[in-house]
Amino acid sequence: MAICGPPNVGKSTFFNRLTGLRQKVANYPGITVEKRVGAFDLATGETLDLVDLPGIVGLHPRSEDERICMDVLLGASAATPRPSAVIFLLDATNLQAHLRLVPGILGFGIPTLVLLNMGDDLEARGGSVDPSALSARIGAPVVLASARLGTGMEKVAAFLEGTLAVPERVELPVLNSIPAERNWAAGTVVGSGYHAPEPSLWGRRLDRLFLHPILGPLIFLAVVIAVFQSIFTLAVPLMDGVEAAIATSGGWLGDLLPDSALRGLLIEGVWGGVGAVVVFLPQILILFLFIGVLEDSGYLARAAVITDRSMRAVGLEGRSFIPLLSSYACAVPAVMAARTVENPRDRLATLLVAPLTTCSARLPVYALLIAAFIPEGPVLGPFLGTRATVLLGLYAAGLAAACGTAWLLKSTILKSKPAPFMLQLPPYRWPTLQALGFRLLDRSKIFLRRAGTVILIATIVLWILASVPYQDGQPPAIGDSLAGSFGKAIEPAVEPLGLNWKIAIGLITSLAAREVIVGTLGTIYGMEADEASPQLQAALQAELSFGGAIALLLYFAFAMQCMSTVAIVRRETGGWKWPALQFAYMLALAYGSGFVAYRLLS
Amino acid sequence: MSKPVTLASLEPGRTAVIGELAFDEPDAVRVMELGFIPGAPVSCQRFVPLGDVAVYQVDGAMVAIRRETAAQIEIVDPQTVRRSPAGDN
Repeated sequence: MAICGPPNVGKSTFFNRLTGLRQKVANYPGITVEKRVGAFDLATGETLDLVDLPGIVGLHPRSEDERICMDVLLGASAATPRPSAVIFLLDATNLQAHLRLVPGILGFGIPTLVLLNMGDDLEARGGSVDPSALSARIGAPVVLASARLGTGMEKVAAFLEGTLAVPERVELPVLNSIPAERNWAAGTVVGSGYHAPEPSLWGRRLDRLFLHPILGPLIFLAVVIAVFQSIFTLAVPLMDGVEAAIATSGGWLGDLLPDSALRGLLIEGVWGGVGAVVVFLPQILILFLFIGVLEDSGYLARAAVITDRSMRAVGLEGRSFIPLLSSYACAVPAVMAARTVENPRDRLATLLVAPLTTCSARLPVYALLIAAFIPEGPVLGPFLGTRATVLLGLYAAGLAAACGTAWLLKSTILKSKPAPFMLQLPPYRWPTLQALGFRLLDRSKIFLRRAGTVILIATIVLWILASVPYQDGQPPAIGDSLAGSFGKAIEPAVEPLGLNWKIAIGLITSLAAREVIVGTLGTIYGMEADEASPQLQAALQAELSFGGAIALLLYFAFAMQCMSTVAIVRRETGGWKWPALQFAYMLALAYGSGFVAYRLLS
Repeated sequence: MSKPVTLASLEPGRTAVIGELAFDEPDAVRVMELGFIPGAPVSCQRFVPLGDVAVYQVDGAMVAIRRETAAQIEIVDPQTVRRSPAGDN
């Protein structure tokens, strides 16, 4: 069973309502279009598999999303068998525009239910439609429903169980041009007693505000600042809570186990290392919560319109703003989100610069180094302190590098004539708690899986390398361990940045994921891995000069210290060429700026 | 022969009907899929900050496009001016 339809008609809400928690997100093999599958119980006791197909705006597949949808319906997709039934969702408040696609969808010859979603909106705004008249005209069952409120769902269940009355088949005209499709839809809509709803008054008022020549950009800035501010302020108590829980549970575990090398590995290596990273879960969830609210409410599309001009100044378009915003959380979903940019060269430029913006994994590193090296003091009275200023400066540096690089790419190797910018502005809607909950659940799963695999392995490997070879039956001093010798071997490479062999080890381990360096330095300095730990700060102050610390900050701001991003760019671009170029470019930028900063400051 | 009137000249609050599209094939399909289909009624909602992008209501949906793109979309009958109930300027 497949669900398909145009974007922004409430497919996800509908899917969530049918499947509840019994769903999972997977990727189609080879490409990163997300595939959502779930299960639905029939009254007969059988279980039906549901797949939520990507949104389509037409039957002429151009984007990867649309091609997937068409392939599945044709039975040409290797990953998903041809569905036995289709639910085609459309927005009842915009019936004519969406009805245009119906003959094409019915033409696949699969039993199809046409679901007019947002029936509540239609009524509230004074519109109406006669589903049975429409049904008779198109020769397929039609249900007026509201996935948000759950009305009409019993008819959906009846369709899935095969008990919904199916009208007599109707020979629909073969429409081979979009104007012909529109003509057919216009005639059909009239014959189905459709009265279009009044335009939404609220939507109009909100647009007047959000797209206002002066207020619009100001509101946009205020929204962005509020999001960042809450990442730091709202998240702190939650992070303290998670941290305390990890420390306490680590203590209990330690008491349970006999004193041995294994206990050391479990408590210092696994619990401390992975815990140091899990602490950042609240921050990441808060960021995704905000992105979710902005996207589901319809504001994100308006933000893309507001930013179009600035994006165009660097050669990109407004739609690139959305992936760039999500890369403040993590570059991996950002690189995937770049798919929404239709022009292939713009898309490539967007995903190449996305990792330069400051992702949440850099935050632990910044927090540790800033706390250790920047004395707190006022900059703008009580509103802005020196530490916050440095942090903002690092965010600005990342953004500037992303914009500069985009401009460079777009004026050289990725030059293209500007593609027409066009973006549908979805109606404003209240985000539902359910949809936001599912988003956060998905995000947490992804983050914890990463903590449980990449970060766990990096931490264990480092702990082992730092604990061998044994000398006189005792673990060696860190400098004599395998990890230490390795760090000393590469020390000459980082010396020009004012860094020593201990940091060098951290630079290598943090290739797995940036935040690993916090755990690594903790292990190396033989202390709890905890970025707020005063001992770790004191140890860093003793080892690093001010210039070296700034160089290290800049290195982390610009270097592509993240194998997950390299992997996703390789998958999205279909080869090693672009990720290799990207990695080399970012390394050069990181090393160069670190070198200059260290020279200037010491 | 007079220059064709395009969507870019449609003032906020005014309504017209989409005419010919001056795009190459793939772009033309894209434009039509968003609703700019010859024969469809269109009204200009607003010019967005700094004057680059305009928002149109076309076939019931709101779409933002750059005005240079709008200049490639012909409109017919802009003279039969009636105050669009959609406009608010």
